[in-house]
Amino acid sequence: MAQAQDLLETLEKEYPDTPQYEIATFKSTRIAIGHSIENRKKGVLQIMAMNRWWNVPNHQGQSFVADKWSARLALEYGISDRLSTGFGWTTLEDVYDGFLKYNLIRQRKKSKKSFFSITLFQNASYRSESNGRSAIYGGFEDTSFQDRLAFTSQVLIARKFTPQFSAQISPTFIHRGSSLSDEDPNNHFAVGIGGRYKVGGHVSIVSEYYYVANPIQSVDTFGAFALGVNWELSDLILQFHMTNAWSTVEDVFITQTPNNFNLQDGNFTFGFTATFALHLSQKKP
Amino acid sequence: MNKILIQLFFLLNFVPSDSISEQVITRQGQVSFFSYTSVENIEAKNNQVLSIIDLSKQEIAISMLMNAFVFKKSLMHEHFNESYIESDLYPKATFKGNFIDFDPNIEGSQTKFVKGTLTIRNISKEIEIKTNIEKIDGKFIITGDFELTVKDFEIKIPPILRPNIAKVISVTFRFEYQPYEE
Repeated sequence: MAQAQDLLETLEKEYPDTPQYEIATFKSTRIAIGHSIENRKKGVLQIMAMNRWWNVPNHQGQSFVADKWSARLALEYGISDRLSTGFGWTTLEDVYDGFLKYNLIRQRKKSKKSFFSITLFQNASYRSESNGRSAIYGGFEDTSFQDRLAFTSQVLIARKFTPQFSAQISPTFIHRGSSLSDEDPNNHFAVGIGGRYKVGGHVSIVSEYYYVANPIQSVDTFGAFALGVNWELSDLILQFHMTNAWSTVEDVFITQTPNNFNLQDGNFTFGFTATFALHLSQKKP
Repeated sequence: MNKILIQLFFLLNFVPSDSISEQVITRQGQVSFFSYTSVENIEAKNNQVLSIIDLSKQEIAISMLMNAFVFKKSLMHEHFNESYIESDLYPKATFKGNFIDFDPNIEGSQTKFVKGTLTIRNISKEIEIKTNIEKIDGKFIITGDFELTVKDFEIKIPPILRPNIAKVISVTFRFEYQPYEE
């Protein structure tokens, strides 16, 4: 005679076969310096302050802590659970940017189907400053509106391999309205790789690198790199990173980072991003 | 030999007829929890809780997916699953227990205790819950509430967020059962 089945085992078979999706492949909408596949959910307004500090070699300035500082202030909003938009202003070169981000595919748990999460990213940026502060960013004195625009398209592909480890690969296409020199390409192909490792419930270590296949010819540029720590506290996310990227706008830091990543003055850049999430529309549990 | 045969005869004939399993189930059970502090009130509800009762054995089992809890704020859902419950590692919470002196034949309501094992994050705790059992037209509705101590389940809360999360979480539940057909 068959033995009566354990009730919990009976329940195990009663679970409906609905797909379960991975959540929080990354906790922030940025891995460190570049976008992650994450969107904020519907009705969430995110207020961001992205800061960079670095020194200028042999600089006789009186600035506090670091010689140079750049910041991007931005608002990002979740239109739906899968579509978000954002607008920002970066102090370095006075760049305004706006973007749309759409989560096309969500990675499923314990399934052969949809192995990855894929998010499409498109931004447009406008450089309003005419007098560039460095050789690489300058040369916009007599240019038209179109010449000052740049567009970045990314296909962000990420997978949460374990509860701790996630990795992302980001094929990127950048079109710039104009370049400093005629020998410079206006269209760039780049690829970003990034990852996070969760060291605790609230803390993760992140790293990111962008490789440009056809870099600018007139000036030496380097791939943007970042190594940092993300710390999430309720509605606040704090991101600290060591990087070589000064700008916080995609097309600028991916193709126009004029310094390598090392600890020398002028190269070493400290980044700090504070993100606060406001839930404008709340669900009724 | 004769004794064994007689025992077998008794086992086959009398024991099974005595324990005809009558089981009832719900697939839309509701479990809510509340954390009240002066800083923040957190409230979540799961509408997809599974529960089954074996009326003859007076046994009950409950199973739920932790990521099915709905919160007011979407980020709270993420933090609950990612940082506190770690639902990637421990996706389910379960309970298995027995009713004490429950008579399934009584129509109307009766208040009884359920004693059993609650398992969250692979940590099991013996608990006793006072429940109200209602039988209306042969259908059972079970409701009740109890309290859980966060520390018992080794949920790590960073010191800076300790004021936001209550030390004791109150839980309420409501299950409406249907006859179970395999």
